[in-house]
Amino acid sequence: MPKLNLVDAINLALRQEMERDERIIILGEDVGKNGGVFRVTDGLQKRFGEHRVVDSPLSESGIIGTSIGLAQAGLRPIPEIQFEGFLGPAYDQITTQAARVRSRSRSALTCPMTIRVPVGGGIHAPEHHSDSPESIYAHTPGLKVVMPATPYDAKGLLTSAIRDNDPVIFFEPKRVYRTYKEEVPEEEYTIPIGKAKVVQEGTDLTVITWGAMLFQCLEAIDQLPEEVSVELIDLRTIYPIDIDTIAESVRRTGRAVVVQEAPKTCGLGAEISALIMEHCFLHLQAPVQRVAGYDTCMPYYKLELDYLPDATKIGKAIKDCLAY
Amino acid sequence: MAVAQAVEPKEVTNTQGAKSGSQGSKGEVERARLRMMMLIRRFEERTYQEYTKPGQKIGGFCHLYSGQEAIAVAIAAHFRKGVDALINGYRCHGHSLALGMDPKPAMAELFGKATGCSKGKGGSMHFFDAEAGNHGGHGIVGGQLPLGLGFAFSQWYKKNSGVTFCLFGDGAINQGTHNEALNMASLLKVPCIFMVENNLMAMGTQVERHSAVTDLSQRAAGYNMPARNVDAMDLDIAIAEIGKAVERGRNNEGPSYLVMNTYRYRGHSMSDPLKYRPKEEADKWKARDPITLYEARLREQKLVDDPWLETAAEEIAATVNEAIAKADSDPHPELDDRFDDILAETYPYGS
Repeated sequence: MPKLNLVDAINLALRQEMERDERIIILGEDVGKNGGVFRVTDGLQKRFGEHRVVDSPLSESGIIGTSIGLAQAGLRPIPEIQFEGFLGPAYDQITTQAARVRSRSRSALTCPMTIRVPVGGGIHAPEHHSDSPESIYAHTPGLKVVMPATPYDAKGLLTSAIRDNDPVIFFEPKRVYRTYKEEVPEEEYTIPIGKAKVVQEGTDLTVITWGAMLFQCLEAIDQLPEEVSVELIDLRTIYPIDIDTIAESVRRTGRAVVVQEAPKTCGLGAEISALIMEHCFLHLQAPVQRVAGYDTCMPYYKLELDYLPDATKIGKAIKDCLAY
Repeated sequence: MAVAQAVEPKEVTNTQGAKSGSQGSKGEVERARLRMMMLIRRFEERTYQEYTKPGQKIGGFCHLYSGQEAIAVAIAAHFRKGVDALINGYRCHGHSLALGMDPKPAMAELFGKATGCSKGKGGSMHFFDAEAGNHGGHGIVGGQLPLGLGFAFSQWYKKNSGVTFCLFGDGAINQGTHNEALNMASLLKVPCIFMVENNLMAMGTQVERHSAVTDLSQRAAGYNMPARNVDAMDLDIAIAEIGKAVERGRNNEGPSYLVMNTYRYRGHSMSDPLKYRPKEEADKWKARDPITLYEARLREQKLVDDPWLETAAEEIAATVNEAIAKADSDPHPELDDRFDDILAETYPYGS
């Protein structure tokens, strides 16, 4: 089985789905001739033609709005927004049009599309190229929000997203794009949206994370004393959130640490903490700890690593939670 | 490709089951067009009454189409069901009726009833009729423009000779989506007909106060597509001018921009005090009322006479009254379907 990085795994999923389903159209800035700023769509225009892989103007609202029209007309668009910071100009289209057309029309019209978006920091890019806005979209009824951390999960989840009958925002942690490889099957497979993954089992404490922070958590756990047994959950899907997997784990361990890259206030970590309160209160032996970015813009690259949660900060939160 | 039929209204059977005009007779199409404009006007004016009377049963915001009827009926004259698409802003009642929506589900939607065209969950701004190709009303000014471009892209992709009627008011031309959609449509050369329903008022701000140029066809300069002003109070002119854009779209020659110059008789919405326009201005436009104008032309051609007009008016009044009575007595949506139609699956969380 070949070892692929995140970029190659996503590219493979796109290629296979486009071969399978001619309703799929990719639109975005430089996705065609250049193969995308991160080369995720490399080779697709050559293979499938300019009518299926469309280089758009720099018009995010236009890209998403056009995709919504295509989706309502029975096609399966996969727009790419080049960086998560560029979701801003398309925000109205995503939240007031795509997310609501099913409800507004009582399912007479639907919007099956997958919006691919590189997300997060850690590549020395400035703010608006390094943000983590996933909780904004999880707070928008009518959307599904997915953020795989690994190549295997990305291929399976992207395939599911493309085949889904609702709009899915598919966040790709750009810090992971070329830094991690694993075996990825050539053949098609799907991973269900809405299912978290227990990355490693443990008995003393549960760490819940998603996206690029998975690798910081693994590093932090690796540095802990051997006798500490930590269970690590990768959410993979932000919405609908897999509370069953989280609650089952925290009821067993009695302690939880949530790790997010986004600013702390009103981030997904706050929602997860509240859910743990609702579902696991009598099992808790310590308050839920949050490790998060600061409530600031992502600082310029020299200070980026100060902003981002790392193994040290995560390790400290785990120790504090265990010592409570 | 299946041959798509135009959705032009036919002379309809009246409520007593008698024919109000003989099928296939001279002037049938013209009478049906006049009748549709009369129906839209009646529907809107009765909606106004229902909205404003004590014990108000129509909720939300409500934007009436009175004065602009010729545009919707002119579109219907060209609309091919099955391949064409229409998308609209929030002043969307007239187009829905013109494309064949029964007044009953239309009125029921205004009353918020389960029998409404959006099952009572959309309201005045969200009339949808997917089967008719009516992709509905949109509440965010200009938000629908890129969607219209998407439909046109799908028609181009499917090679089905369909065109998209992408409608918006003069207020929407100042939104960023106007720039993005026009430029992309021209680059992609898709069959999108951008139609500004220029009623001269963006909410409460008149065109000379909201647009740097008052000849709005100039706002399409720079996008490499034909742009024309159209006298949209005259149904025949509107039909002819739209026809040119339709032909261009069906022949795969790309998008067009039509400024449909018209006037809305009522306020922007129901709460509009109309302080910004003098009564004389409205009177001037009403002197060229699209229904009166067309009616006079058909009289001149001896296609309608007093008895026909009286019967038509009575039948239309009865149809709208019936729709109101039914909407009033129909049930509201059930509370336990509150999580339906959020996502395809049962709403997973939050219940």
